[in-house]
Parts: sequence; C-alpha cells; structure tokens
Amino acid sequence: MTKKEFSFNQAVNEIEKILREIENGEMDVDRLSVEVKKASELIKQCQKKLKSTEEDINNILKDLE
Amino acid sequence: MNEKLSLTELQLIIKDSLYLALPGLYWVAAEISEIKENYNGHCYLELVEKHPDEVSIRSRVKAVVWSSRYRFIKSFFENSAGESLREGLRILIRVKIEYHEIYGLSLVINDIDPAFTIGEVALKRQQILKRLGEEGVITMNRDLEFPILPQRIAVISSANAAGYTDFMNHLKGNSFGYVFYTSLFETPMQGKEMESGIINAMERISVHPGEFDLAVIIRGGGSQTDLSWFDNYNVAFYVTQFPIPVITGIGHDKDLSVTDIVAHKSLKTPTAVADFLIECMISAENNLMDLGSEIADKSRLMIEVSKRRIETARSRILPVARNLLLIYRNTINRKKEILESHAKNSLGLLINRVAGFENSLKILDPANVLKRGYSITSINGKIVKECNVLKKDDIIDTRFSDGSINSKVL
Repeated sequence: MTKKEFSFNQAVNEIEKILREIENGEMDVDRLSVEVKKASELIKQCQKKLKSTEEDINNILKDLE
Repeated sequence: MNEKLSLTELQLIIKDSLYLALPGLYWVAAEISEIKENYNGHCYLELVEKHPDEVSIRSRVKAVVWSSRYRFIKSFFENSAGESLREGLRILIRVKIEYHEIYGLSLVINDIDPAFTIGEVALKRQQILKRLGEEGVITMNRDLEFPILPQRIAVISSANAAGYTDFMNHLKGNSFGYVFYTSLFETPMQGKEMESGIINAMERISVHPGEFDLAVIIRGGGSQTDLSWFDNYNVAFYVTQFPIPVITGIGHDKDLSVTDIVAHKSLKTPTAVADFLIECMISAENNLMDLGSEIADKSRLMIEVSKRRIETARSRILPVARNLLLIYRNTINRKKEILESHAKNSLGLLINRVAGFENSLKILDPANVLKRGYSITSINGKIVKECNVLKKDDIIDTRFSDGSINSKVL
C-alpha cells in the first residue's frame, strides 16, 4: 500500500471532527484515548506543514517585495 | 468721337468711377485661396467664392492687408479664432474697393470678424460629426481595447516638426527606463497635402498588422494651431476604421477637432502624449507590484488563519477530552450512589423483617409468657398440656416467672 499524500485540509477536518465528537459526547471511552492521540498527531503534522509552507512562501516572496 | 484716351486716362476714369460708385466699406464673406506675407509685412491674398460643389470657382478677387493693419488683424484673428489665416479658411472681412492703374482691382482689408470663421469651422465640424454619426462609426476607434503596454508606436508626424522631436526626446528619455519602439510615418502636418499624407501613412501602417500597439498623430503646438485641418471627414473616417487605437497630440488647447473626437484619446501636445504612454507603463508596473503584494498578503493571511485553526483545535482537545472523561466519571459515580442507596434500602427492609421476627420470638418466649401470669406445668421433665394425663399422687412441677414449685395431685 502506498502512503497517502498528506492533505492539510483533510487533516484539519479530521481533527475538528474528533473535537466535535468529543464535545458532543458522541465518543465512547474505548475510542477516546486513541482518537485524542490521533488528533494530536495530526495537529503536529499540520503545524509542521504550516511552518514549511510559511518558510517556502517567505523565500518565494522575498524577490517580489 | 475721335478723342482718344491714353491707357492711364482710362484707368483713372475707372478708378474715379469706382470710387464714386463704391465709396464706403463693405463686409464680405469669402474663402482664402492663396495667402502670402511679403518681406515688408504686407499680406497679399486671393479670395474666391466656390459653387456649392466646393470645387468650381464662382468668383475670384485679389486682396491686400497693409502691414500696419495686418499686424493687428493677424494677432486679433489668431487669438479669437484659434486659427491662423490660411488657405481654405472662410473669413468675413471689411474691405474698401481700390483700383490701381498698374495693379488693377483689389480689396483692401481693414477689419476681420473671427466669430464668422469660428461659426464656419464649428458648422463644418458639426456636419462631419453628424455624417460619421449617421454612419455609426464615431466610437469605433474609442471602442478598441487599449494595450496594457503601449510600447510599439507608429508615429504619424513630420520629421522636422518641433512636436516630433519633443515627443521622441520625452519618450526615449523617460527616467523609468521603459523601452519604446517607434516608427515614423512621415506626412505633412498641415496644408493641402495633409489629408492625403495622413491617409497614406495610415495605410502604410495597416500593412503591418500586429506590429504596432497604437498609432499617434502628433504635431508641434504654439500659436500656429490650424486645428481645422483636422476637421476633415476623410482623415476622421480613416481614424475610426483604424485597427489599433489612435492618440492625437496636435497642439491646441481650446477646441477639439473631429479627428481628436473620433480618436481613442486626444491630448493637447506631443509631450502630453509621451507622458501618457509613460504613465501607462508606470501604472502597468504598479499594477503588477500590487498583484504581487496582494498574493503575499493573502498567502500570509491564509497561513495565519490555518495556524489559528490548528491552535484552536490544539488548545481545545485536552480540556474537551478531560471534560468528557469527567462526564463519564460522574455518570459512574451516580450509578454507584444509586446502587448504594438501593442496597441500603433493601438491607433496611431485611433488618425490619428480622426485627419483626425477633418480636414474634420475644412474644413466644416462655419466660415472657410466664411474666404475663401463665405457668408451665411439667411432669418428669415433660410439659403437661392436658390434665387427664395426670393421676392421683403424681408430683408435678409448676414453673412461674420467678421460680418453680412442686405439688402433689390429690
């Protein structure tokens, strides 16, 4: 199986879905720790992606300004 | 009738007769067909009146403005009409009829009415505009899309015109370093040849479609502004049909000629045209820079928004998870409490029941029965429930609450 390309939008949607489920009490305890762990992993990946994107953009825009 | 007149005598008779017959001053409308100033400042003209076909001539006469008068008339006319006296112009003049024995008949001009010429020019302009309007072509050049970068310019002018040099110097010397490519299509910019010259130049430009972004028609300004050369139907029509935008800078600041009106844009001087083209380049560059910073701003904003979104999620997930855990814990605790209280209740019932049993037992306890005044009779350790089991002389034991006695059956 090939590793799926990381999608920021999908990740954020997934994080927010987990949040919503927890908030609305739809998450059962068996899944809670697994899902919270998954969410925090996704958050870390998103932050990493944002940081690299920001650096890229700043490098690209340096010539423009 | 043998009396002979010398030529001079005849001429003098004509002169005197004319003077007597036409002694005053007359306002006359006419078209200038020739005009020249000579070295001593007098101005000699030939005036004509044409047939309505505007070609064949109905009458013709010589005229003169003496230098003393000409200086005044020339500047008065130019200032008022915005036109110099020139061939083809219709004028209203006040004249004295003179006859000279050598030079013949001529009109001596001593005044001019510029309002007449202004009216004539305006009328002609109006007629041309009406015709172009009826043909539906007036806005055709104006409707063309103006190039964002007007860099390849076909210049219609004459190489020795002051305006052309100004234009080139201004354009090529722009301090922004923009490059303009110009090709000059030479033509006389006034006089009879102007019409065919400009049309010929436009035809030559049209041979190279796609090679030019626009055409400019320029000419030096100053007071020599014979604007009405450009009130020309053919020139204006060619401009409306031209495939690329035309800008005019033909040096005038009062009225617009028909050519100016149908051109894509009309500016006062060639220098103003050059300025405008440079401005176009500046605004195109500024626009690009604005787009660049807009992209920069928008992408940074997008990053910020995403950061905040992630940060919000990050800061919420722990409290939210804890909250859910708390809810589950409370639920469990409540269930435990309910269970406990249920258990207690059940126990209480049992205890009561047991207590009931105890009471009953107490009531049945023989000691208690004895206290209430009952006694228990037994014989040989066996309780006597009926008296017929006893015989005479049996020794029975009677137990009371506080002790027992023995008795003998009689």
